[in-house]
Amino acid sequence: MASISDCSVYLPVWKLKRDEIAKATGLPSLGGEKSVAHWDEDSITMAVEAGRMLKGSFDALLFASTSSPFRIKQSASIVASALDLENVFTMDFSNSFRASTSALITANELVDSGKFERILVVSADCIPIKPGNIYEQFYGDGAVAITVEKEGVAKIIGYNSHSQPLPGAWMLKDEIMSYDMRLDAMFGYASSIQRSAMSLLGKLGMSPMDFDRIVASAPDPKSYEGLLKAVGAKPEEFYFRSTGILGTAHPFLLLASQLEKKGRILLGGYGEGADVIAIEINESLQTNLGKMLESRKEISYSEYLYNKGFIANRDAPDRPPITKLWREEKSVIRFYGMKCNNCGTISYPINRCCVECGAKDNYEEVKLGYRGKIYTFTIDYLVSPGNYVGDGAHPHCVAVVDLEGGGRVLFEITDTLTDFKGIECDAEVERTFRLLFEKNNFRYYGWKARLAR
Amino acid sequence: MEVAIIGCGVTKFGHIWDKDHDDLLVEAVYDALRDANLEMKDIDAVWCGTFYPFTGISGNVFSDSLKFFGKPISRVENYCATGMDNVRNACFAVASGAYDIVIASGVEKLIDAGSRGIPPIEGIFSIGMPAVSAPGMFALAANRAFKEWGWNREDLALVAVKNHYNGARHPKAHFRKEVTVEEVLKAPMVAYPLGVYDCSAVSDGAAAVVLTRPEIAKKLGCDYAVIKAIGMAVETMHPWHRPSESFLSFPATVKAAKMAYKMAGIENPRKQLDFGIVHDCFTITELINYQDMLLCKPGEGAKLIREGITAIDGDFPINPDGGLKSFGHPIAASGVRMISELAKQVLGKAEGLQVKDAEAGFAHNLGGPYSVATVAIVSKP
Repeated sequence: MASISDCSVYLPVWKLKRDEIAKATGLPSLGGEKSVAHWDEDSITMAVEAGRMLKGSFDALLFASTSSPFRIKQSASIVASALDLENVFTMDFSNSFRASTSALITANELVDSGKFERILVVSADCIPIKPGNIYEQFYGDGAVAITVEKEGVAKIIGYNSHSQPLPGAWMLKDEIMSYDMRLDAMFGYASSIQRSAMSLLGKLGMSPMDFDRIVASAPDPKSYEGLLKAVGAKPEEFYFRSTGILGTAHPFLLLASQLEKKGRILLGGYGEGADVIAIEINESLQTNLGKMLESRKEISYSEYLYNKGFIANRDAPDRPPITKLWREEKSVIRFYGMKCNNCGTISYPINRCCVECGAKDNYEEVKLGYRGKIYTFTIDYLVSPGNYVGDGAHPHCVAVVDLEGGGRVLFEITDTLTDFKGIECDAEVERTFRLLFEKNNFRYYGWKARLAR
Repeated sequence: MEVAIIGCGVTKFGHIWDKDHDDLLVEAVYDALRDANLEMKDIDAVWCGTFYPFTGISGNVFSDSLKFFGKPISRVENYCATGMDNVRNACFAVASGAYDIVIASGVEKLIDAGSRGIPPIEGIFSIGMPAVSAPGMFALAANRAFKEWGWNREDLALVAVKNHYNGARHPKAHFRKEVTVEEVLKAPMVAYPLGVYDCSAVSDGAAAVVLTRPEIAKKLGCDYAVIKAIGMAVETMHPWHRPSESFLSFPATVKAAKMAYKMAGIENPRKQLDFGIVHDCFTITELINYQDMLLCKPGEGAKLIREGITAIDGDFPINPDGGLKSFGHPIAASGVRMISELAKQVLGKAEGLQVKDAEAGFAHNLGGPYSVATVAIVSKP
């Protein structure tokens, strides 16, 4: 069996109070707040944000999401390219809230079989929900990445999976819905998790008493509490009040929180059946979950609607051909610049001739740093964020950034809405992978910068 | 080099909804011909500037507007320095003796673009690069200058106040209205720290000049001014990706200025010239131009405006015509108009805006993200 050796959480910078949703929609508030992606984030970009915090090399990348932006086009390959991984096996897991646990089970098998050494499993969700939909208060946005290899702080000791078709939540086109949430709560969740767990314990020759804690992603927080009550255990922090349910990334979020203390745990993923994984945490791992929860800003309901695309005209002008994106992948997605062998200048993007001395074809490609300092900036009211035109709802902030280790780049500054506090000459920023704009029914991704979190 | 300007034609600049680019071009060209006392048949070759494709893309912009066929016509485009680059090309053609009498012209119909600000140019930049509006590009310089030299929005406002004062007295300006520092500061933001009055307007217009060699001008018996030098330099259109870029100086201007000064034998422009016209597309641009045109040391640009040195009655008037601030900036027309303003000043024909004892002056046209600059020196014969 394989082990989990590292884990990183990404939560978008915004959090929305459920009371705000309640005020706007007239529905009762479930209390607490939920995590909200910026307008230029989706499950691909958040996966990159979570993944880029994990160090070392990988030979496979498994991506799990129920909200991949493309129906045809692999997300894992885009994530791998943004993380500058080369010659990796990539695979998407989708369509079920169990996609993440399925990916973890698969990673375990791939490592256990000796075929792969070190796998990045990343799960992200940013589920489309219309204002007033009952799920609006349930689901939040976020991503979690896990490193799976032979040795690590947490050993996978077994797993079991079974499927059970039950009309829970589904999404046919562009919005999540369900027939009746009570069906899941009464006949789906607790029974599926228990059934899978009991089979697993049987296989392992263990009893519930051998485990310290149980975490299992659920369609709602009450169901989780109900399950724990039924099996006579104490519920763990479920993060409903702080992030909301992160779709298929939620089991990983629960895992991230559990990795912080030693012990033997059962991790459950639920969706048309259940995956249950037994994990032995031998060493506690301090993750960035706490930092992510703390470094967030509150968003109003109207700004939330802006981020979700319900407010503002986002018509982008004509863009360069998509083939250019392919030709410029090394610069635009992998984010390499060039170091001139003649004058030593590091510049961006890669060009045949050096921008300072003009030396031709005499350079090395260099990967540019993540952090930098603003040299100068502007807040442009004639362009909308994302290069969109027209009477944009927000100004567009751009900055000339000197990156650590060399290279100067003009970045769009993101994670701002109408508040540009802190953006000034010499401010510290970090680059972040985002949607640049959507045009011609295509999503163009690339790097922006934000105030360092 | 000595090239004679024997005719100048400039349309009224502004939101000219009821005229197309060909109407404007015909008006400017026939104005210039009348000034030179010549006819279309006397013209050997033409340079015509247009920047945006919706105004025209080839020599046909000119030929089909004037129905002027069978002669050489080049369309020149070089960002916002398009106008003066046309003049530059025409100058060297005349000076070489290849042609005797030529027209350099420029026309732009920006109002038809239906956009706030000039429309973004797409497709030429890297996919990963964010869009920046024209004011945004120059705001990058303003914020750095604020940081480096302690300049502030009031310094910028003084430029707008000065140029609008002059422009209010120019019959062809788009805006003929004086403004106060307070009005400038209170105007809506366009690209921080540049507000509406820190920006030149999106305007329509056309301008044309008739050029020849001085001996021909004398023979024709025309009043003429002399273009003594014209320098030009092109730098990167990605200043934000060049690590050595200070954003406190536009190297293209410095290089074009030095080239022109050298050609005209000028060592101290403040002493040897009497006035100047600079590309004040934005108020910050004018202040940086003072420095780049070597009128003062780096960092002293704001001092010149604060002390009134560049006012029309100051020690070295800048933009006595009202500049782009008052005229707006129909891109390809601006540089040609600047040349015509220089000629009027040195010939003593700048009614109401005449710089005292104006014998020689310069004009400066800047384009793109400060990537293209042209500088011309014009004097009395």
